[in-house]
Amino acid sequence: MASETMVMPYYKFNVLTGTKAAKVIADPAEGAAIIDRAKNPLYIFGPEVIANPVGACLLIDYALKIAKSRDMPICATAHVKKKMLELGVKPDCTYDIIEIIHFLKDKNWSGVRGKGYHDLVLFAGVRCDLAERGLATLKHFAPHLKTFAVCRRSHPNADFAVPVIVKGDKWREYLEGLIEALGVKA
Amino acid sequence: MYPVDVGPQYEGERIRKGEFQVEFGGPSVSHKGELATVRGLDEVEHDKITVTGPDIKDLPEGYSGSFFIKLDVAGEALEKDMEAVLERRIHQYINYIEGVFHMAQRSDVWIRIHKNSFKNGLNSLEHVGRILIDLYTAELPVIEKMSLEFATDPARVQELLGGAMKVYKERDERMKGLREEDVEEFYGCVLCQSFAPTHVCVITPERVGLCGAVSWYDGRAATKVDPEGAQFAIPKGNLVDEEGIGYDNVNEVVAERTMGESTRFSLHSALSYPHTSCGCFEAIVFYIPEVDGFGIVSRDFVGSTVVGNPFSTLAGMASGGKQNEGYLGVGVQYLSSPKFLIGDGGYSRVAWMPSTLKELVQESVSEGLLDKIATEKDVQNVDELTEFMQNAGRL
Amino acid sequence: MSKGKMREEEIRRIIRADDEWEPVGPTPMPSLIDLRNWDFRLLDTYEPFYAPFCDLCCLCTYGKCDLTGNKRGACGIDIASQQARWILMCVLMGTAAHGAHGRHMVDHLIEKLGADTKIDLGSQINVEAPIIRTVMGLKPETLGDLRKAIEYVEQEMIHLVSATHMGQEGSYRDFESKAFHAAMLDHVALETADIAQIVGFGFPTSVADTPLVDLGWGAVDSTKPTIVVVGHNAVTANAIVDYLRQHDLYDKVEVAGICCTALDVTRYDSGAKVIGPLSRQRFFLKAGLADVIVTDEQCVLTDIPQMAKDTGAALIACSDKICYGLENASARPAVDILRAVLEEQKQFLILDPERAAEVIVQAALALAPMRRDKKQLVTAAEGAALAAKCRGTCEECNRVCPNLLPVSVAVNQAREGNFAKLGEVFLRCLGCGKCEEACGHQIPILRLMQVAATRDTYKMRAGRGPIHDVEIRKVGSPIVLGTIPGVILFAGCSNFPGDIDEVAWLAEELARRKYIVNLSGCAAMAAAMSKDADGKTIFEKYIPEFDAGCIVNLGSCVANSHVVGAAIKIANIFATLPNRANYELMADYILNRVGACAVVWGPYSQKALAIGTGAVRWGIPVVLGPHASKYRRLFMSKKEASDWTVVDGRTKQRVDTKEPTPEHMMVVTETKERALVTIIKQCFRRNDTPPGRAIKLNSYISAYKQVMGSLPDDLQNFIRTEKEIPIVYKREVLAYLKEVGWQPKPVLSLPTIIGTYETEVPIEATIK
Repeated sequence: MASETMVMPYYKFNVLTGTKAAKVIADPAEGAAIIDRAKNPLYIFGPEVIANPVGACLLIDYALKIAKSRDMPICATAHVKKKMLELGVKPDCTYDIIEIIHFLKDKNWSGVRGKGYHDLVLFAGVRCDLAERGLATLKHFAPHLKTFAVCRRSHPNADFAVPVIVKGDKWREYLEGLIEALGVKA
Repeated sequence: MYPVDVGPQYEGERIRKGEFQVEFGGPSVSHKGELATVRGLDEVEHDKITVTGPDIKDLPEGYSGSFFIKLDVAGEALEKDMEAVLERRIHQYINYIEGVFHMAQRSDVWIRIHKNSFKNGLNSLEHVGRILIDLYTAELPVIEKMSLEFATDPARVQELLGGAMKVYKERDERMKGLREEDVEEFYGCVLCQSFAPTHVCVITPERVGLCGAVSWYDGRAATKVDPEGAQFAIPKGNLVDEEGIGYDNVNEVVAERTMGESTRFSLHSALSYPHTSCGCFEAIVFYIPEVDGFGIVSRDFVGSTVVGNPFSTLAGMASGGKQNEGYLGVGVQYLSSPKFLIGDGGYSRVAWMPSTLKELVQESVSEGLLDKIATEKDVQNVDELTEFMQNAGRL
Repeated sequence: MSKGKMREEEIRRIIRADDEWEPVGPTPMPSLIDLRNWDFRLLDTYEPFYAPFCDLCCLCTYGKCDLTGNKRGACGIDIASQQARWILMCVLMGTAAHGAHGRHMVDHLIEKLGADTKIDLGSQINVEAPIIRTVMGLKPETLGDLRKAIEYVEQEMIHLVSATHMGQEGSYRDFESKAFHAAMLDHVALETADIAQIVGFGFPTSVADTPLVDLGWGAVDSTKPTIVVVGHNAVTANAIVDYLRQHDLYDKVEVAGICCTALDVTRYDSGAKVIGPLSRQRFFLKAGLADVIVTDEQCVLTDIPQMAKDTGAALIACSDKICYGLENASARPAVDILRAVLEEQKQFLILDPERAAEVIVQAALALAPMRRDKKQLVTAAEGAALAAKCRGTCEECNRVCPNLLPVSVAVNQAREGNFAKLGEVFLRCLGCGKCEEACGHQIPILRLMQVAATRDTYKMRAGRGPIHDVEIRKVGSPIVLGTIPGVILFAGCSNFPGDIDEVAWLAEELARRKYIVNLSGCAAMAAAMSKDADGKTIFEKYIPEFDAGCIVNLGSCVANSHVVGAAIKIANIFATLPNRANYELMADYILNRVGACAVVWGPYSQKALAIGTGAVRWGIPVVLGPHASKYRRLFMSKKEASDWTVVDGRTKQRVDTKEPTPEHMMVVTETKERALVTIIKQCFRRNDTPPGRAIKLNSYISAYKQVMGSLPDDLQNFIRTEKEIPIVYKREVLAYLKEVGWQPKPVLSLPTIIGTYETEVPIEATIK
């Protein structure tokens, strides 16, 4: 399925005023391929991962599987750490959302695990208006990396965005498709 | 870790009459007390917590009764002199416990435990003991062994209290009797230097730190326990100023610690080379030229003093780490010192002070003189003060 | 521009340089670049972080210019500088709003009382204007002196606005420095405005225990003729209260306010009602409970004339800032105006406050009996009928909601008579009305909320103005010795990310940890809107003194100046450093030694941006709610990786302190839980004594464990020696420090950044 350029996200206040917009990844398999190509991906979790249900689970349950598939370091922003510890997973980093973006801008930063800069940054669960601002920062000031907003509300300022998915079960299918294509049982 | 939370944010909690599960000591109970004793290393069994008599969970809701805390410590670096300092921490640490308050000290102690804390699991004095031992040993590694006994059995309380009363008396005699001449070292404190870079407090057995928080004993304990802290020893050297009281080595330390801003302190004079003040003092001694005498005012005094300025304005003149002739910031306890302002004539030169302060120091002032010191109830300004003193035959 | 001799003499004359209350410092009435080195020094450590809101610049006719990648505008501007230019423009708007308010207030009061009217803030306040004293070098004694302060602000602003023109400043660092300058002027304007109104209107001063006033839309007794004043400038509201008193109508007419006008009118008259913050404006006005709506200035909705028409209320606009295209009736006789209001339903602009007051009150008295049916609130049955067309499937309302609320779910459930979800939405609603605008079925969602909105009345403390000199003396020592872990200011607007009571939660979490908590403006109002199990708000539970564990309402937005003032007073009164024309010395002191933090949890306005930017220049870090990301700029360090070298004032040597304090000067946090630990961390200061640091660390560790579930992940950055480990956590912290290979760090009692950059201020000045 050909991917298209993002025009109108779910939240209309996030509409892009500019010329450079996200590529919409409608097929989760293509999303998995993007993740696979990355040499040093990073996953950023915002507080909605622990607040938003997806089917019978929470968004974090899916996000953790995606992260685990490629042993991706996780940056738990806001107060996500507490829930992660309850789930038995220790985040690699607890920089808050603006802090991690501030560091990501610097190509010379050694990254969350000291292996050098991150070339692909995934986002889940950050409040959509705040997320769009953070993505704008990286778009303008971090040309050395690409961003993938794994969020069904869609994000024009990301490099790669999920299409607007209104129905909850379609969102679950997308996430499960992504996990399956990555090679971890959903 | 503990059934309730613990931390300095719980100091100052109030627990009202209907809110406590149990009350130990306090004004409606006749026998209560606490005592810290430094013993030999072989005399103390570390971590031993005993409850003699019914425990919290055995007592009915709303119980109020006699109580004693017996705290025993041992350690190479501990000395008998430190007992009072260690004992005061019972108050501080018990107040750290969520839903528990501790008031006063010695045979006046008063403790209440909130019903909510009891409900949350604070149902035994063993918990309190555990918290105390953990806090004491965390702060003071010089304590090598510590044991606690909590007595709620009235007979045992009376027994322990009897012994304690003797110890309190001995301590008081020792403290009262201790003179600057009797010791080799004083203690310095520079805690306030980030606000007053050129200020240092010189603390002697007869001159408490001007914030009121550090006595000579506190300085001694702190220096032993934390040699790199804000308090340090000052070997006094030789007496070089017999009137205002000054020592050569003290002056050398003063010069060094104040970066040369002051080079000489008269420890008991407000007029000649006075001790500097930061801004934390509890009271101010100020010179009143019209009567060639002094006024004293404390921080809690509201309104104008006899010279027309309130505490806040006088504080501006006394503070800042400079030697301000005629102004001296002091701790309230200093007002009862045998050497109070001895370089300038002591209470014979004091003309005015608030009535509340006067009541506090009445035992330190000779009876005949006490009535001749004016208060805010007698005079409102310097003219009236002059008249008052003339009538009293002091001018 | 460097000052010529004549200008320097003029400045000396303006500030009465020969008055000997303190020697004049190096920067009396600084102009655009006089404090530039200080600004650059801050920016060296706290780099500007930009989050562009728009990829384009549309300012001039060469545009639109695409600034993505390495592209520059036609004028050569890049994306970073364009954001910084935008910041400067917005800060200037904020400064102008406060400055014009101050100008209006001062001119009005000079007309009424005379330029020689003395400034007397009561027996507890000697240092009456710490900001004006520090920035200008003037000790203002009269209203005429306050006019000098406004003139200074106005004079500087023209240069700053000029710098935003196309083809002016080209460096983002200099744009930020100019923004700092504009923001500093904003603080001068704030202080001027509040002192003027305290002096001119007799607002409480030198009193801590101000009355508790009623707050909430449920507090308004709309059975009486009801006047609602919206805005920030209390001249008109006070005139209304005066008129009522003079005509023995005080108990017969209800006066209520929305936004800061409410805070200020309740300082004048504690019987007035506070409806709530800005986020309640549209909701309340659409409810039709006001018989007369009065607008003054700032944060006033621009479609109020239509809302008034829709509800049959009269509208009188009273400020030249908001004229709404209405006829200016200021010179017409009141009787004429009133007739036109009542018979022709005309709306007017009246700039004479006394005339306006007469018309407003008389109109309210006349309209109230005729409007009884218009004041009926929507019932549940009516609400369900209004929502009948919603199926909850188009979600257009959700898609335009700036606070990301599930409006469609709430309205769909309301259709079935269940208003619980709508009640939850109401708690987070910002009152923008975009949902009803987007609704294809024209469902009047804001009116529907009347069914769900709680009609509780809350108690809020009336604003008390400046902090007392005696209070400063009392807390100076505990701040040093550590019993007080910090001074917090909750300021700003009500664009909250979550429930309206999050500010109350944060305020209480900090007050119970013994911080000194101050509130102002919409934040103060929102903080009142939360009751505990005993039905008490935080203002009823906590003592209103400037002391540990207490909660203070300073007043309206202009009262924010008093927390900056308190920080200056700590340096000036308690530590006896001279502040006259000594900006850098004061700011350096505050940055290094006063543990203060400003929190704006729901910022929306350009005024809030100005206040926050000004705080940063003073050395006070700011923590913001997530909507603040749309301001486009923050100030962040690289945490432990940045250079934390300072000068030890005692030895005059440079020392690498190795600790990031304060860590960031302006940062956004997403959730209140993360905000709590961030605020606590921002109160650490380089000169903390070991006992003080231990108290602060105790709060940090206990809060972090509470919300994050572990010891702080950066704890090792803030422990300098083992002594300052809080004893309650000592064992586990020691084990943790060993695990991460912690090394001790230097402890300084006189840290300063004077001497780490080029400045006229000598290092000796920091020690005095």
